[in-house]
Amino acid sequence: MRKANRLLVGTLLMGMVVSCQKDDQEGYESVNPLTERTTAGGETTVYLTSSNSFSTPAANLSASQIADHFDADLEFGAVFVSAPAEVNGGVGPVFNNTSCISCHPKDGRSAFPSNINSLSGFFLRASLPGTDALGGPVAVPGFGKQLQNQAIYGYEPEVQFSVEFTNQVETLADGTEVILKKPSYNVVDTYIPFPSEANLSPRLAPPVFGLGLLEVIPEYYILQYEDVNDADGDGISGKANYVYNHVTESMTLGRFGWKANTASIIEQCAGAYLEDMGITTPLFPQETGHDQSNGNDGFGDDPEVSYDVLEQVAFYCKTLGVPAARNLDQEHIQNGARIFEELQCASCHVPKMISEEADINVLANQEFYPYTDMLLHDMGPGLADNRSDFLADGQEWKTRPLWGIGLTQVVNGHTHFLHDGRAKNVTEAILWHGGEAEAAKNGFKNLSASERQDLLDFVNSL
Amino acid sequence: MSNSIKSILMLAFISTVFVSCSDSNEDSNNDDAINEALYQEVLTNLSVSVITETYNSMNNNAIALKEAVANLTIGDETALQTVKEAWQATRKPWENSEGFLYGPVDTEGIDPAIDSWPVDVNAINGILNSGDPITESLLESNNEARGFHTIEYFVWGIEGDKAASELTERELEYLVAATENLQSKTAQLYNGWIATGGNFANNFVNAGESGSIYTSQKGALQEIVEGLSIIADEVGNGKIEEPLNGNNGGAKPEAEESRFSNNSKLDFSNNMRSILNVYVGDYNGINGKGISEIVATVDSSLDQEIQGAITTAIYAIDAIPGTFTEAIYDNRDAVGLAQEKVLELQSLLDSQLLPLIGNL
Repeated sequence: MRKANRLLVGTLLMGMVVSCQKDDQEGYESVNPLTERTTAGGETTVYLTSSNSFSTPAANLSASQIADHFDADLEFGAVFVSAPAEVNGGVGPVFNNTSCISCHPKDGRSAFPSNINSLSGFFLRASLPGTDALGGPVAVPGFGKQLQNQAIYGYEPEVQFSVEFTNQVETLADGTEVILKKPSYNVVDTYIPFPSEANLSPRLAPPVFGLGLLEVIPEYYILQYEDVNDADGDGISGKANYVYNHVTESMTLGRFGWKANTASIIEQCAGAYLEDMGITTPLFPQETGHDQSNGNDGFGDDPEVSYDVLEQVAFYCKTLGVPAARNLDQEHIQNGARIFEELQCASCHVPKMISEEADINVLANQEFYPYTDMLLHDMGPGLADNRSDFLADGQEWKTRPLWGIGLTQVVNGHTHFLHDGRAKNVTEAILWHGGEAEAAKNGFKNLSASERQDLLDFVNSL
Repeated sequence: MSNSIKSILMLAFISTVFVSCSDSNEDSNNDDAINEALYQEVLTNLSVSVITETYNSMNNNAIALKEAVANLTIGDETALQTVKEAWQATRKPWENSEGFLYGPVDTEGIDPAIDSWPVDVNAINGILNSGDPITESLLESNNEARGFHTIEYFVWGIEGDKAASELTERELEYLVAATENLQSKTAQLYNGWIATGGNFANNFVNAGESGSIYTSQKGALQEIVEGLSIIADEVGNGKIEEPLNGNNGGAKPEAEESRFSNNSKLDFSNNMRSILNVYVGDYNGINGKGISEIVATVDSSLDQEIQGAITTAIYAIDAIPGTFTEAIYDNRDAVGLAQEKVLELQSLLDSQLLPLIGNL
């Protein structure tokens, strides 16, 4: 059985441990001071450096909230099988994977799969050019907006994925060469002909901790960083996405997904149930392939998961703790933080966010350090998917949070970053930046080896 | 479930944490060196002689299971019994490994490949009824139609009473493929830890050195003790709780994991032995140093208390009469008592052991 990760107490107690570090730092000026940012998730912060760093409940939950969190953890770990079944029936008919945890292992980040058609946290989105009636992407007839490369027995997957890589060499100022592998995706073995004009966009599943805090950042606080036309002339814009919200049935600020195309966590969860696993919920009660020859199981058992369970899974994601930053009192890390600001990394990866009101009381009135402005930025042609999603154009992506990034190796056993895991470490991830981040990237390339190391050490301290 | 968790958490909240900031004098330097040597001895023994060897046992037994299946024919009840025993023998080290579900078992997707639950009966029947050859690679793309529980389904049947005379040629073909696939995964897992393979053990042996994912010995020790707590929680609040109370406080037999084979009580007690093996540092006749030796240097009565709690939990599980499937109806008090003992162990680990290691 897939183990739910439900570590209880390490977090609560370690939080009380007082650092014994001598307070005699000298040299570089601390940022803010930097050590204040140790509590990356405010009072939700957990103090772990193990493989459980992403999968531990927020430190400030009440006893009853922790009980609810653990009940919900069972749902996050539930493996679905084909219907009819005694337990957890309803996966598919077409799907990408069979449980939440299988794409978010240890509540963390999927690796880029060695076999792109194995069960993994990878899939392709698809759409036809243009926008639909709601302003979003246009579904590809017979395929929808997400391509499923798995199917239950007796059904045909929509497609199989294929990928080819071409090498791109980046040379740093000190002569170091870094080879970036640029992927090019396609679909093969489609169950019906796939339209050649459709756009494809790859996705790899990100960690799910800290989402509750990101959901309750006040909208005005995010919008203060917006600069759509770059009025301040710093070369960096920042644009909010406004997307159709299926809960409120109106256009609202997009906060989640690689292009900020989803307004709320519950909608993200319902979307994942439907499109990733083929599990219907009251929010999305029709199978993703209900109008396709390979997409309807004919059992009339929808919704396959209740609204209670859907809310539980959303609650689970909202109430995972954020791992504390580490070693922020060290001089080289503080120097790295200074370089991070000088190179304007922090202009988009804005360190501090706040919350005010929140339905879940422990998320209210927090100061936390996700290192994202929650806005869209043009990242240049190298990263472009050329597929628009509401206001996000084909070169724009939402700034990813950096919290927890340095624990990816210990939690997930890899360091595959960006929307499709093409970057194999932090250096490659930086070098993939372009567009508005071109200047920052070039600044990074021009650093001395030791400055570069300090910057990387800082990023990995988060 | 709620009540038990609440009580655990309350314990956690009110526990006092002692923080010691030692000054750098000669005595503490000596102490540090002694501690560092002890920690390395514990980390080396646990990773190399307990964890890696548990996986070695599992792989060896999976090879025997594969061979037993190769000798199975329709109607040969003796051969079927051999297969059943070989399945249980492979299951034991797997359950003994669930106190350390970090590393390749997780990052290489091996856990879902060998222990996915529930099984997808429709998928299995579909494959059986198709004309396609049943091969290891066919199963590779379907976690819910391979692994321990798929093999269990064929060997015991849904009612747990399957006879060799009821086997079909297609089922034998499936069993051959499924046991081959299982053993390829156990080999991958063992290989992921040994020095000549993926050498994940090195992360523990050289914790705090470059090349280890753990930036300190303490961090590596924390990983290990967190793993003990996680499996205690899993057994108490998942594996026992769901079948016992999952139906609005009543029995939910379909939530029992090893139901076809009636192996659940052994699953649970072997999970507790997983905690014991890591805690005391012993496996398969090798008596090495474990977490116990570290705890004893700080609080010897706590060390005794933890060992007692592990043993008590094992006894309470073993004391459940009959099969677990029957007991969730007929002996609910005995099951409840076993659950209570497991949760008491978890509470002790959470409230005492984890903070102790965290404050080393």
